[in-house]
Amino acid sequence: MFLQFMINGIIIGSIYSLVSLGFALVYNTTRIFHLAYAVLYMFCPYIILTFYSNLGYPLIIAFIIAIIITILLSLILEIIIYRPLSKKGSSDNIIMISSIGIMIVVINIVAMLYGNETKILNQNISETLTFGSIIITYTQLAQFLISSFLLVVFLMFLKFSKFGIKTRAMRDDTILCSVFGSDIYKMRIALFTLSAIFAAVGGGLVAYDVGMDPYVGMPMLLNAVVALIIGGIGRFEAPILGGFIIGILQSLSVWAFSARWQDAVTFTLLILFLMFRPQGLLGEKRRTV
Amino acid sequence: MNNDTILNIDSIRKSFVRNIVNVRGKDEDERFFLLEDIDLLVSKGKVTALIGGNGTGKTTLFNIISGFFNADEGKISFMSYGKHVELTGINAYKIARLGIGRMFQDNHIFQNMSVLENMLIADDKFFGERPFESILFYKINNTIEKQRKEKAEKIFAELFGDNNPFLKMKNEKAKNLSYGQQRLLGLARLLMGDYKLLLLDEPTSGVNPLVVEKIKELIKYFVEQKELTIFLIEHNMNFVLDVADFCHFMSKGIIAMGGTPEDIIGNPEVRKAYLGI
Amino acid sequence: MINIYIILTTSTNLLVGMTNLLSLGQAALYGIGAYLAVLALMALHLSLLPTLIFVILGTSLLSLLVAYPSLRLRGDYFVLATLGFQLIVFTILYNWVSVTKGPYGIPGIPSLVLFGDIIISGIIPYLILSSIFAIGVIIIFYKLIHSPFGRALKAVRDDELSAQAIGRNVTALKIWAFVVSSGFIGISGLLYASYVSYIDPTSFNLDEAIFILSAVIIGGTGNIKGPIVGAVFVVVLPELLRFVGLPDSVAANLRQIIYGLMIIILMRLRPQGLAGEYALK
Repeated sequence: MFLQFMINGIIIGSIYSLVSLGFALVYNTTRIFHLAYAVLYMFCPYIILTFYSNLGYPLIIAFIIAIIITILLSLILEIIIYRPLSKKGSSDNIIMISSIGIMIVVINIVAMLYGNETKILNQNISETLTFGSIIITYTQLAQFLISSFLLVVFLMFLKFSKFGIKTRAMRDDTILCSVFGSDIYKMRIALFTLSAIFAAVGGGLVAYDVGMDPYVGMPMLLNAVVALIIGGIGRFEAPILGGFIIGILQSLSVWAFSARWQDAVTFTLLILFLMFRPQGLLGEKRRTV
Repeated sequence: MNNDTILNIDSIRKSFVRNIVNVRGKDEDERFFLLEDIDLLVSKGKVTALIGGNGTGKTTLFNIISGFFNADEGKISFMSYGKHVELTGINAYKIARLGIGRMFQDNHIFQNMSVLENMLIADDKFFGERPFESILFYKINNTIEKQRKEKAEKIFAELFGDNNPFLKMKNEKAKNLSYGQQRLLGLARLLMGDYKLLLLDEPTSGVNPLVVEKIKELIKYFVEQKELTIFLIEHNMNFVLDVADFCHFMSKGIIAMGGTPEDIIGNPEVRKAYLGI
Repeated sequence: MINIYIILTTSTNLLVGMTNLLSLGQAALYGIGAYLAVLALMALHLSLLPTLIFVILGTSLLSLLVAYPSLRLRGDYFVLATLGFQLIVFTILYNWVSVTKGPYGIPGIPSLVLFGDIIISGIIPYLILSSIFAIGVIIIFYKLIHSPFGRALKAVRDDELSAQAIGRNVTALKIWAFVVSSGFIGISGLLYASYVSYIDPTSFNLDEAIFILSAVIIGGTGNIKGPIVGAVFVVVLPELLRFVGLPDSVAANLRQIIYGLMIIILMRLRPQGLAGEYALK
């Protein structure tokens, strides 16, 4: 049983890592506490629902269309909300509150259009693979493979491409980066696109397994943020590490106590980290003046 | 540490980590010592200047003295009200209460508070600043508030004469003052506290020559009339020549030279390394 | 309800507006106040005054547990810590069934007993009682904001570095602000519990925390008027929508959308809120 929970933890951890990485892409580089990111995660499966269940497109096509529409939403938010605020020099808190505003608006629009109740994408019960005493559904396998694939591709990309170097430069010093002639807002478009992809894929994969309602984004976002804090703000490997730790830990807490306490475990962990190691596992203190 | 010394800085070392993306695009962490080994004495009742190139760690040293940073090694002792106190590891606000006042490089006055409030908040009496004190003991509180106001107005009058802009604008927000006026307010504020030593970080940066003259006058007044000791960072060499009694040149993480301002600024090495002439 | 929200927003303003600390844990404190009130009323059978003292002290003390560790952290981290606190408190209220009755809630909360046999029940006495409380809280916060304490908080809000440089203990001041604001939030929990006579954890979840924060931000921060405007606005708007004749199902979502849009627009054009004087940093 322990092993089964461990495996479940790793699978859900891969999703957390993915979502957390998307959040980190925006947060590490722009310092936007992008709470509306939760909305992107929730938005994608509803688009899949429209194209797949209502209009009868094949699942893959519906998924791709949904990802594209989620990217568009992400870019709209950046262009009409965040960019003007950041050009105006608004403080981080103001940007964060605006983000809360966006979140409230989008959640309620979705709730008006689709209803508050839980919707499911996959009517059938997923088939399973059995290895000895361990059972994995095909959906879970897909979740793990797709998210791991994206994580690996992204890390390679970050290490070796010119864009990756620019991203890391921007993370270290935005102003300097713009002095050296990088167009910060072009970079931000790319970052918001990538982060939307991660949110959309994560959201789609989870919703295919367990369904969705308009409020699924927030809990996932919280896990992602905790993963980021535990891993450490700064390096892009950090949220991935954090994601797996949280996934495994939550799964084990289900095994040891019950599902009801897994949030409490996560947030106790968060508070412990904030108190004793606020820079996270992979972070180090920097010169700030 | 003899009786003429108010501040003794002994073998201070401070390192930072910088994370850089190198040419090959790899992340690297690098530890470097900004302050290698700083020894310095500040004499009581005198003006001591600290000069040195940009990024040599002058402000970092000030931040260590004020308690905003911890040093890796070394210690700083301060003569507070006749007692030697070790400053290492003490919180910034406690260091201020021991009698070290600080003025920052870019003013750092309270922009959204009125000119008068900026003075009142800097008072060395803390009565009423615990939540319900002022409501429960409103009589004492009123008396103290009145004293604070009188003190602030007296300081303005002493420093800037009657009819000065600060008295006229006392109820306006501090951000409506000009940059030079804000600097002067920052200096006036230091008199509200009961300080023995003032750390001034580039008092003349970014202000016009008239204000520079005024600051010179104030520093002399602080030392002569108020018996304060002043330790300042400065790039304006004429200013240093005019006000300072001692001058230290900082370079490559150590105090490379110390002496009278004329000697230091006249020294060919300093001129070469720092002034480029 | 307006009175309850006025207490909530006025207290929260001490934190958000005066000290520039965004807290997402206000609903947890509100909930703690309500559950403590239930404890005092139902298990200990206290009358109004002892209950009030019990709730204020209890909520303040519990908030100290959060305040102490989280206020040593900077900006974003403080928000996160309060968020963590909010979720942990909610999980405990929801799952510790033997004490809080969990999701089933606690029904039949008795009315408040003023002295001996004077019982406050019915709408009008409650209206009077809650108005007295609300006005009392407003007066106390007005005094606080204009006291040296308020001035010190303003200094911390404007420039923490400078505040330390003039010998102000920034952490202690923030902790005081948090604890005082929490104690008064406890009062609104007490009023709520005895007014609706039934509580369950869902009244104190993260959505409620966001709601309280939005009310403060819409109304305005940094003075005494702003939070009152905010509280009145968020309580009156749903009534207005009902008056216009929208069906309840749409109205609930529409109301939220209006709040959301207002926040976005205000942050862009008027970050100090409708009636506030200080914009968040």
